[in-house]
Amino acid sequence: MLASILVLATEAATTTADNLLGQAAGDAKTVKNPILPTVNEMFWAAIFFIALWALMKFVLLPRITKVMDGRTDKVRDDLAAAEAAETERVAKLEQYEAGLAGARVEAVAILEASRAEGDAERRTQIAAAEAEVAAARAEAAAEIADAKARARSELTGSITDIAVGAAEAVIQKPLDRAAQGRIVEDYVNAAGQN
Amino acid sequence: MIFGLEFPPIENLVEWPNLFGPTDSWYGFNKIALINLVALVGTAVLFLVAGRQKTLEPVTNAPKGSRNLVESAVAFIRDGIIVETIGPDGLRYLPFLASLFFFILITNIFEVIPFFHMPGNARMAGPAVLALLTWVYFIAVGIKHQGLKYFWNSVAPAGVPKALLPLVVPIELLSTFIVRPFSLAVRLFANMLAGHILLVTFTVLCITLWGASLLLAVLPFSFLMLVGLTGFEIMVAFLQAYIFTILASVYIGSSMHAEH
Repeated sequence: MLASILVLATEAATTTADNLLGQAAGDAKTVKNPILPTVNEMFWAAIFFIALWALMKFVLLPRITKVMDGRTDKVRDDLAAAEAAETERVAKLEQYEAGLAGARVEAVAILEASRAEGDAERRTQIAAAEAEVAAARAEAAAEIADAKARARSELTGSITDIAVGAAEAVIQKPLDRAAQGRIVEDYVNAAGQN
Repeated sequence: MIFGLEFPPIENLVEWPNLFGPTDSWYGFNKIALINLVALVGTAVLFLVAGRQKTLEPVTNAPKGSRNLVESAVAFIRDGIIVETIGPDGLRYLPFLASLFFFILITNIFEVIPFFHMPGNARMAGPAVLALLTWVYFIAVGIKHQGLKYFWNSVAPAGVPKALLPLVVPIELLSTFIVRPFSLAVRLFANMLAGHILLVTFTVLCITLWGASLLLAVLPFSFLMLVGLTGFEIMVAFLQAYIFTILASVYIGSSMHAEH
């Protein structure tokens, strides 16, 4: 099958080539060397290329390169502006960081001062409060001592009256109230100490 | 015939009939001349459309559309070819090299443009003219930068022992002033003609197979080859424009400085 296809292909190609070459052979005298250039084609090629060269030099390229150069200049300017902005940003950042560091030191100093002042105030307030408490406590102690003394005195009086009254009732004769009162007072004092 | 609506005779691979002007006249305008004209007009229109500028928007904004295309191509020639081979001093030659690149690219790309199907540079005339102009140009640049010493500096590189000069000078003379333009022209012409013949061959094969009964099975393969080669020719069109331009740039750069 493949062989028959190849044979047929060869025959077809040969026939086509024969037909084409036959056309050429019929006009063999006018066929020229394909390598050699013809004058008319060189003439027009030169005319059109030189025209394109002139157009390119004076009309076509300047319009394009002007825009390209403008864009290149703009990109360069924008890059320079960006670099300047970056430099400015870095300077401002450094300035800000320096200010921030100063503020931080100042804040620490203020904090320390405030803390010291607060501590002093706290201590003053505590001392005042403690003094006030101590005074109140002393006053209360004095009041208690007074009350206790009064209560003791009243108690001693009452006990003396009751005891002397009871003793006088038992013995049916009057007793020395002052002496009995001292005995009762000594007794109450001794009991209070226990 | 002009728009490729019928398959041209085989002799038209080497000679196109004139659209106007007598046969064999020096001004006969044929399909190749028409392609060269379209390359001129097409490049000019592309640049003019891209270069429209009513406001400062093109400067302040990123390029779009045709402007993006043209600026990319110009930047490619400027930064990828001139700066790389000559340096910033070579930017003054941008118009010539850009003209070379666009003229060759557009005339080449007509290989795959419907109704044309013919690269302008598959004829020797175009490449020969461009190579000759490049030859004149880099010699002129050499004389401008080095004076008449350019010719001696070109054929006798610095550092070559005097005893070797009888050997080196003829070689350099041949290499610099004869081989350079010849190789520029033949490289471009041969590549484009070979690509054109390949596409024609597979097109003829597809047409022939279309009429064959049994061999119709082979047609898809031939057609796929045709499509693949068409894509390949687009790449070759760009590549040859790039090679011609970068070699022209190298030659101009070598003419500017004696140490090269």
